[in-house]
Amino acid sequence: MRSMIETNLDNVAQQSAFRHIYPGTKLLLALGSLILCLISPSPVVPLISGIVLSLVLIVPGRISPILYGELLLGPAIFAMMSVIVLLFMLGGGDVIWRFNPVPWINLTITTGSLREGILVLCRVFGCSISMFFIALTTPMTDLFNGMKRIGIPIELIDLMMIIYRYIFIICAQAVEIWQAQVMRLGYSRPWEAVRSFSMLCGMLFISSWNAGEDLVRAMDCRCYNGVFPSLDLAEPIQMWSLVPVILYLAGLSGILLVMTTGVVIVP
Amino acid sequence: MNVILEARDVRYRYPGSQEAIKGISFHMRRGEKIALVGPNGAGKSTLLQMFNGMIRPISGTMLFDNEPIRYDTSSLRQLRKRVGYVLQNADRQIIAPTVYQDVAFGPANLGYDEQVVREAVATALHQVGLVGFERRPPHHLSGGEKKRVAIAGVLAMDPDVLVFDEPTSGLDPSGSEDLMELLDELNHDGKTIVISTHDVELAYPWAERAILLTDGQIIREDVPDVAFGNTKYVRMAHLSVPTLLELSTELGKRGFEIPERKPRSVLDMIHIIENHLHGACGHPSPGTIMVCNVDEDDTATLTAWVNTHPDLVAGAMGTRAKQCASKECIALEFTYGVIDKCILRALRGKDSLILTTSGMISRVAIRVDAYCKESGNTIAVIPLGITESSPVTDLTNEEV
Repeated sequence: MRSMIETNLDNVAQQSAFRHIYPGTKLLLALGSLILCLISPSPVVPLISGIVLSLVLIVPGRISPILYGELLLGPAIFAMMSVIVLLFMLGGGDVIWRFNPVPWINLTITTGSLREGILVLCRVFGCSISMFFIALTTPMTDLFNGMKRIGIPIELIDLMMIIYRYIFIICAQAVEIWQAQVMRLGYSRPWEAVRSFSMLCGMLFISSWNAGEDLVRAMDCRCYNGVFPSLDLAEPIQMWSLVPVILYLAGLSGILLVMTTGVVIVP
Repeated sequence: MNVILEARDVRYRYPGSQEAIKGISFHMRRGEKIALVGPNGAGKSTLLQMFNGMIRPISGTMLFDNEPIRYDTSSLRQLRKRVGYVLQNADRQIIAPTVYQDVAFGPANLGYDEQVVREAVATALHQVGLVGFERRPPHHLSGGEKKRVAIAGVLAMDPDVLVFDEPTSGLDPSGSEDLMELLDELNHDGKTIVISTHDVELAYPWAERAILLTDGQIIREDVPDVAFGNTKYVRMAHLSVPTLLELSTELGKRGFEIPERKPRSVLDMIHIIENHLHGACGHPSPGTIMVCNVDEDDTATLTAWVNTHPDLVAGAMGTRAKQCASKECIALEFTYGVIDKCILRALRGKDSLILTTSGMISRVAIRVDAYCKESGNTIAVIPLGITESSPVTDLTNEEV
């Protein structure tokens, strides 16, 4: 549980080598890749996008490959389970494999379902990595600034900022309570574990309530009048990062065009 | 010194419980350093919260600047701007997701222009030595750094009075020393400071006045050596007599001559012992204390100069001086009680160097001068005055 707190995505983003790149550039790369992966009728574009972004994150971005692998494991397992179901649900084309566990159930995998399954798997792969690119390179504080610029109501952003701040405090408290319970064998038996967990939730509720009261007091102490200052210290747009992103997205769009129409534009 | 805060027979009771404050009266003068000392549950935090109107006494009057505190919203805003309160748990005080936003919180809510807010944040972070931390999220900071952010958040509002509830709780000894040094620095800049603590060893040398509190009542209010010197009151407050005070009492019983002003530091204690031994353990030729102003002197040249004097021991006073030493890789032997420690070293015939800032440089000469007058010793204080054009190549006692 402690390592979960220490290796949370925001910590990784804070330490990323791309931390100081203009957030808009990173959003353009991630959202551009995401859209291209989604609209691609072929698995080639999501596959290329996923591989390129992964390499960018690991090599110049200096994200630990082990941590990155662990992060990808979650969506990978989810996607694999979905694709297995899709393989048997979808049809079309020739039958590749047939399985009759009982006479009235006929499970078949066809060329059509396999094609769709691979496409879905590659899309999930490409889109997940696009989202991870944002999560692993752009801390939440930069995203709050971006949200403010695009006109999301300030009250909502203020609320998100306070929640963001308190997530870490409450998580740290949860870890402390959990450790205190584990030290006294609180999770040694199933029934004990249920009881300990319910006590943990109760204690967390009380301490969150107290933290909320202290928050109001701390805000009052500093003359709170409805203003939550923003951190407008964002990095400027750097051409050295923007140009490669545009070129990459143009290249990916070109591949998509070729895959969709089969036409190669010769200059 | 004129009175800035005053309590007149204030009482307070939390809903559904017994009285927490039972008729307290006292005053606080402008520029004073006061320690409110008492055991857990004595009512220290409750009393502190009355200073900035967080708690309204059920009877009695709180006065700020000789005016009774009014509890309407606009008066409270004015009061809280002038009386900054630093909570015991810094995590509970830091409310924003970045250091900049948290420090800017107060000035922004006071309605300052963005430029003024930026300047206030920059000044406050500079004061607490956290320049460059603006974008850091609080959960990436150490306990000491969080405490400094909490203090910066209050300093950005430029209050006259700073109230600290258990300022050193949760800090390691080095962090505590740094924090107390920062409080001294702020007091030197003209802030009135009041702390609550149950650490008598911390309060005794630091405070100008100590208030012993127990069970919601003041049992003794005086200069620390008098307040802590009465064992009856100290016992009543569930405290202990500070080690230095206890030692001086024991030495007095053994025939040592103890001055009227009891020892508040190791230097004072050494002075008593040396007096008794008629200076037998002092060095015939005292060392010198060199002072470097990091705000004006060329620190890069200083580093080279320090490297050529390996026997010289350095100490730093003030956050900026410590940062400068860290940046220039100058090893610091002393970071708290620096002047006294350098005087002690000089008495052994050794030279030392104090890195300090423009605001605190005069304190060195004043303290050394006071000690020399009292003890009859002569210790030279030499401003280094290192500039790029005229670096000091060497400086010996003879040259002084």
